[in-house]
Amino acid sequence: MSDEENRRHFEALALPHLDAAYNLARWLTRNDQDAQDVVQEAFLRAMRYMGSFRGSNARPWLLQVVRNTCFSWLKDNRPAEAVGFDENDEAMHEIAAPIADEPHSMAVRNSDREQIDLAIAALPAVYREVLVLRELEDLSYNDIARIAGIPVGTVMSRLARARGLLRQALMPDARPVLRTVPRVAQGAKQS
Amino acid sequence: MKPELEALQLNAFVDGELDLSSQLEIEARMREDAGLRAQVEGLRQLREALRDDAGYHAAPAALRRRVATMVALQLPMPTRQRAGNVAAQRWLGWRPMVVAFGLMTALVLAIAPPWLRSARDSRLREEVLASHVRATLSQHLVDLASSDHHVVKPWLSARLDFSPPVRELQIPGSVFLGGRVDYLDGRPVAALVYRQGEHIVNSFVWPTRGGDSTAVFWTERGFQMAHWSRGGMNHWVISDVNRQEFEAVVRGLAQGGAET
Repeated sequence: MSDEENRRHFEALALPHLDAAYNLARWLTRNDQDAQDVVQEAFLRAMRYMGSFRGSNARPWLLQVVRNTCFSWLKDNRPAEAVGFDENDEAMHEIAAPIADEPHSMAVRNSDREQIDLAIAALPAVYREVLVLRELEDLSYNDIARIAGIPVGTVMSRLARARGLLRQALMPDARPVLRTVPRVAQGAKQS
Repeated sequence: MKPELEALQLNAFVDGELDLSSQLEIEARMREDAGLRAQVEGLRQLREALRDDAGYHAAPAALRRRVATMVALQLPMPTRQRAGNVAAQRWLGWRPMVVAFGLMTALVLAIAPPWLRSARDSRLREEVLASHVRATLSQHLVDLASSDHHVVKPWLSARLDFSPPVRELQIPGSVFLGGRVDYLDGRPVAALVYRQGEHIVNSFVWPTRGGDSTAVFWTERGFQMAHWSRGGMNHWVISDVNRQEFEAVVRGLAQGGAET
């Protein structure tokens, strides 16, 4: 393939996913300028390694490059945040136990956008990553596993953990309910 | 089932990621178990809240332009040597029909008879024009925005294997916008950017072994262009400003003004 064909190929492949790339970088770096730098760097890398792309869907491939670029960037610039990025084994006990019989709905519905964004931003990076890929990019567990370089089982556990943490953050009152009196609780919430 | 495992299962269930038999099993259990139903409902609502309300960050226009330009140029900002190679490859890729001619030109360039020089010039005109249009279209005019030549010159010198003359124009309506590194004639060059009234002026500079030559003016596809050599430097200037002002700009660049 000539350079010009290569270039066109890359353009057609990668440019449509620029929003997804920036969204991921923005959520991982939590900063506009840093995210822009990371995305630019990631596209450079992607251009260089385009040969490694096989298949028809470039989005997971490109997001994997973005994710790894983010990770190296965080390691260089904010080492404290990069901790745990490469850990594959998550202890199961870390996962928040499910919270049964609670009126999540009202509380979650009442959280405004800002609160939701703050809660996501406050998640540790490893959880934020899977959550953003799942809920904002609507990617399958398999794609997420590939992007984050972790087994599907770890995607599942991190996602469950991320949602548990979000629920705690968005509904601080609803957490340690031991008595199961749903109707009363629901009534109290609505008043 | 252990509560942790159940949490994973329920998340996967809500995400539609369970295999069919597990999916059916949970659905069956949900019919019996109000607590399970409430959990699933809670997860679904959290999910919907996230999908509806979490901020999606679309790429800013500036980033879109930067990346598009980068891809169009097919050039990172690599080492100088590599940059030259890539620019050359890009050229070859662009115009396969003139590859043979280009190689011949390169071979005989050492002798550089006048008739060959004109072929090189016309190729350069195209490159200069393309670079100017690309820079104005992409809005990526400058890598370093500064109206102070004391800032721009060292910045450029640090990124090039030569130190270009950098001038602010002492003519009315002229603003020095800054500089960037561009690629022309198979090598990194300095591009100095001015605004003359509402028009952008790109002034390209790079070293030459040839002697001094006086300014040549011409018009190409509506753009004013000029070329001269002085003090071992090639100068190529292009703008869509009118001829009169363009000549004033070229005079300013070629002769005077504050120079470092």
